[in-house]
Amino acid sequence: MSILDRVRVLDEEYHFINTLAERIDVEPDGKLKGYTVSVKDNICVKGMQSTAGSKILEGYIPPFDATVISKCRAEGAGILGKTTQDEFGFGTFNINTPYQRPLNPHDPERSTGGSSGGAACLTAVADFPHIALSESTGGSISCPASWCGVVGVTPTYGRVSRWGLIDYANSLDKIGVMAKTVGEAALLLEVISGPDRYDSTVLDAPVPKYTELDQIKGLRVGVPKEYFGEGVDSEVEELVWAAIKGLESKGAKVSEVSLPHTKYSLSSYYIIAMAEASTNLAKFSGLRYGLQETIEGDFNQYFSRVRTLGLGAEAKRRVMLGTFTRMAGYRDAYYLKALKVRTRVIEDFKRAFKDVDVLAAPAMPVVAPRFDEIEQLEPIHHYMMDVLTVAPNLAGIPMVSVPCGSAHGMPVGLHLMADHLEEHKLLKAAWEAEQL
Amino acid sequence: MKATIGLEIHVQLDTRSKLFCRCSTDIDDAEPNSVVCPICLGYPGSKPMLNQRAIEHGIRVAQALESKVMPVIRFSRKNYFYPDMSKNFQITQYEVPLAEGGYLLVTGHRIGITRVHLEEDPAKLVHVGGGITSARETLIDYNRAGVPLVEIVTEPDIRSTEEARDFLKKLSLILEHLGAYDPHNEGSLRVDANVSIEGGNRVEVKNITGFRNVEKALNYEVVRQTSAVNMGMPVVRETRHFDAETGVTSTLRLKEQEEDYGYIAEPDLTQIHIASEWVEALRASMPELPDQRIQRLVDEYGITRFQSDIIVNTGLRMSQFYEESCRLYSDAKNVANWLVTYLLKSLNFESMILEESNVRPETFTELLVLIDEGTISERLAKELIKYYVKTGKSPRKIVEENNLDLLPVDDLRVVVSEVVDENQKAVEDYRSGKAKAAEYLIGQVLRRVRARASAGVVRELVLEALKEN
Repeated sequence: MSILDRVRVLDEEYHFINTLAERIDVEPDGKLKGYTVSVKDNICVKGMQSTAGSKILEGYIPPFDATVISKCRAEGAGILGKTTQDEFGFGTFNINTPYQRPLNPHDPERSTGGSSGGAACLTAVADFPHIALSESTGGSISCPASWCGVVGVTPTYGRVSRWGLIDYANSLDKIGVMAKTVGEAALLLEVISGPDRYDSTVLDAPVPKYTELDQIKGLRVGVPKEYFGEGVDSEVEELVWAAIKGLESKGAKVSEVSLPHTKYSLSSYYIIAMAEASTNLAKFSGLRYGLQETIEGDFNQYFSRVRTLGLGAEAKRRVMLGTFTRMAGYRDAYYLKALKVRTRVIEDFKRAFKDVDVLAAPAMPVVAPRFDEIEQLEPIHHYMMDVLTVAPNLAGIPMVSVPCGSAHGMPVGLHLMADHLEEHKLLKAAWEAEQL
Repeated sequence: MKATIGLEIHVQLDTRSKLFCRCSTDIDDAEPNSVVCPICLGYPGSKPMLNQRAIEHGIRVAQALESKVMPVIRFSRKNYFYPDMSKNFQITQYEVPLAEGGYLLVTGHRIGITRVHLEEDPAKLVHVGGGITSARETLIDYNRAGVPLVEIVTEPDIRSTEEARDFLKKLSLILEHLGAYDPHNEGSLRVDANVSIEGGNRVEVKNITGFRNVEKALNYEVVRQTSAVNMGMPVVRETRHFDAETGVTSTLRLKEQEEDYGYIAEPDLTQIHIASEWVEALRASMPELPDQRIQRLVDEYGITRFQSDIIVNTGLRMSQFYEESCRLYSDAKNVANWLVTYLLKSLNFESMILEESNVRPETFTELLVLIDEGTISERLAKELIKYYVKTGKSPRKIVEENNLDLLPVDDLRVVVSEVVDENQKAVEDYRSGKAKAAEYLIGQVLRRVRARASAGVVRELVLEALKEN
């Protein structure tokens, strides 16, 4: 059975594909030779429908490859297809989508997590060489990686070019990777990192050999006290502590640290993310690409109709909230204030990393919830699921979720975070945790 | 009645590529929507890449206006839905512009500059079968989308329509000297004007294209507001649209409907640090500006300030033409006389500008040489220059092909004796004391030789012939 056929069979069961490649073309050689790479639907692949999980981009075929895709192709990877996600990344459960909703491989009654749900699901079930390209704005890699039991790496903001990434919130969006092992994740990250003239926000820093994984002698692990306790499932907490103790037993020095602005990061994150998102979504007006309607009425009537039909409820909610936060009269109190809080959150982390190499915490406060449980939640409870992932995402520091056991029969992720551009340290620590 | 006017001037910068992508800005003759790419079309996944040359042009403009260049600048998103905007936001500068402050002296009056900033031009809308409100459909040409604009905002220091016109003329000339802009490109200069008069409210007139329209729109607005106030009617605070075809402004939206642009920082572009060394290097290499040029032409070529003013204010190309001509022909004053008096007049008569004509320093100075060497008369040269300006043909060739050079005196004598022989009646009249008869004979000779002889020489020869007979 060909890999594409195998993917079709798996997709019948787990629903993780939005668009499957018609065939897999590969360069004869390269670091990714023999690997297939799946691509979150918000990363543009030339000639392959890329919808970012939205109906408003149905039928949109990008005329160019994202930089990460060009890099993967050049290293011999086969592009497998586009994986499901919450519309434009707006969600924590991968249920905000007009396309298929992926099922958790460990329990089909439960969510894969989001927004990169398809990527995590496929990574977990793939029984062929595969690594996933995914993307995180506020936790969209760590969350589904943790809930599906795979490794998910979110790099430093600016480490990987965003050229070709369909924007959610440009100052927060980061393309990252998911894999079964830390080694494979490191391999793909090494390929896609580095400067790119097409993205002005990419850092002009050399790319270390992430694939050289070994133990860091005297690793200093910080445990942020704000990331434990109320709201965190006690079994999840126990597993994470067990992993931290495991690292300690192998020579790591563990200490408690404090990140005092943690409690403000969730609101700061959602204000900035929605403010940016509401401007990004403005371009989807049915004029140049994606969903179109018969032209009736004037421009305002036309684009309003296209957007009414093409955008989902969560997208509309974020456009409205985001627009509100940047309106005259509210802008100072919301948008500009949130930017100030963001600076404080970054300072928290910078202070902590003076004394420790990595921070360790649970990736998610609970294990993957059942779909019927999710239905009972209000939007605000959805947003609160991200409480442990938004601060590092807001700060733009790299993080990895690495599986550390099961609670309630579902996978749990140990969340490790490091200072800007210290992916090499982060991956070594994750590799060590993986060996436990 | 005294008017208070402030201008926001948008000028297309003459860079090779657009502000945020590598598409050409050479779009005048391009098929609609052919000079576009995923960036200027705002395709999903595309990001802006800042054109450094546009920043450089912007800094030069700021320096020419004595505006202070900021050490760190940012771009912002100005959000509003309009079909000419590929992203439904415009990347512009909001909190921190490229430069702040400055001024421009217009006939001794100081017009304050508030700020100078960069932004992208939207696409061009073509309204089919009507104006902005009446057209049945509107076509969009994205070729213009992303062309760099520099926006210059003045303080409300301008006191009349005429002063606004003079300000714009001077500004345009400065920009041309900086090599930042092409003054002959239709639509490369667009203006929003804030106009108020005593007893009224501030009215904004949007999107006026080109000099003449600014003058028209401001005139209309000042008259409209003045008569409203005179009749005791209110001038409401509003935004008006200027229709270039009818020369009339009309209400676009009232103050309550003013848009809220919900600015945010453009997150795809980082803060840009403008190194002070760069700013200084640009200042050091600042091209000569119009006022300096006027003075230099006076000093260097000994021409009058009046002449220098005219030459420089006509445009950069004209003053370059003058100087090139002076390199080819040594009498700089003579060049200035002929240029200011006859060349400009002939260009005006043909409704041509220098750039569109085939007039060149090499051929223009040829004309002066033809006079100096006695090949043609000044009188003929004044006629010939009209034909020269029209065709651009070499004056020497024109003279040769049409046998226009002065006749040798012997040839002239032959014509004179012919005329005398054929007009015995006039000869008799002259001899019987009617001096006027000689004038008739002179006229006959001149008619025959046309401009190939000077009147003085012909007179001498005729009188001589009459004496002999």
